[in-house]
Amino acid sequence: MLFVPRKNNTQVKYPLYQLGNPQLRIFRPTFNLTLVRPGKEQPPDTVQFRIPLEMTKFDVRNYLEKIYSVPVAAVRTRIQYCTNKKRNHLNQRVKRPDYKVAYVQLAQQQTFQFPDIFPEKDRKHEEGSVEEMQEKFMEDERQRQKPDPRRGGVTEWFGL
Amino acid sequence: MAAAVTSRLTAAVCRQFQRVVTVSSYTQPQCATQAFSKFHSCQRRQTYDSWWFRSSTNNRALHTSCVREGLEDFFDLPENWGEQTVKSGAPWTGKQLRVKSNEDLHKLWYVLLKEKNMLLTLEQEAKRQRLPMPSPERLKKVERSMKRLDTVVTEREDSLRLLQTGQERGRPGEWRRNVFGKTFWYRFKEHPIPWYLNSRYKRRRFFEPSHVAPYTRLSLEKYLRSKIRKEKREKRNQKMLAAVFPKKTALA
Repeated sequence: MLFVPRKNNTQVKYPLYQLGNPQLRIFRPTFNLTLVRPGKEQPPDTVQFRIPLEMTKFDVRNYLEKIYSVPVAAVRTRIQYCTNKKRNHLNQRVKRPDYKVAYVQLAQQQTFQFPDIFPEKDRKHEEGSVEEMQEKFMEDERQRQKPDPRRGGVTEWFGL
Repeated sequence: MAAAVTSRLTAAVCRQFQRVVTVSSYTQPQCATQAFSKFHSCQRRQTYDSWWFRSSTNNRALHTSCVREGLEDFFDLPENWGEQTVKSGAPWTGKQLRVKSNEDLHKLWYVLLKEKNMLLTLEQEAKRQRLPMPSPERLKKVERSMKRLDTVVTEREDSLRLLQTGQERGRPGEWRRNVFGKTFWYRFKEHPIPWYLNSRYKRRRFFEPSHVAPYTRLSLEKYLRSKIRKEKREKRNQKMLAAVFPKKTALA
């Protein structure tokens, strides 16, 4: 049985494969894919994912094709080793968990650009709410802290 | 009551659309039909229970370009981008999940999985941009729902197995004694070769050597002594309490 350790001390058992065995099918996968913004510039058809260490290229391809119906041309993976050097307040070494990165190239000449998920939005607080009062207070404070506009940008340090 | 009825109806409608529009939708790139958009919005809504998906603001707009139709599921609805908090309903409870059929649970598992992926991408992007993640409690809700779903499915599998074969466990095993004299439940593992050809298995001895036998007896005596001591302590405690708080009847 192929053992795959899980974080909460339960091991997942997949049956051994020998020639002639049926194809292994996982009915309720526990693998989570995280789409990340690439650190380095990537070609327009490449999408970057963080995947669990136990996943393979074939797993990624099947996952995206079956669950997300994304046409995949190629998958390349690498394992990112994270530091065990950092120490906590008890001087014990703290390991940052390793993760696997998958670079997926889309088929059918599709492109993907990582969107801006945190755009600036003008929020209008409702009348009489706590946030409205806080916002007003902060605005007043900022106005009070501003230097005198009649001095024309000259600081208070220069007397008079 | 009416709200629950409408939620059931919308869920049923979603299910119908799911049967019509199969997973292989990437073969048909024209996805501008309203049915498809409804399917998408229904899929998103079924993650959280009941009232969340009934608000009209959560209707996904019709999109005609399908450049990255599948990858959009890794992100929230575009209206929620940049918000400080995103409303979400309660997690699924075991009681609610036990009512659902196996097909529904199977589909719900994938809905929850996609929602979790979306939340993880959001979390990572928030860390990258050094901004707070909107409503991080959604992750916990989804994790709990998935755990409960798993519990319900294993319950059903266990009961089915018990009824059909009488086996209590899915994975066979037996009681064995290890080198230290301790008895434990050994769970069988699949091997491609028999045990007498497996040198690593033979090094793992499942019998206690003769010099370990006295210690097994001693540890057993220790365990029995501690058990008796605990019982005696409990009895003494109860006696002391009865002496301090004597039982009185209503008349006395």
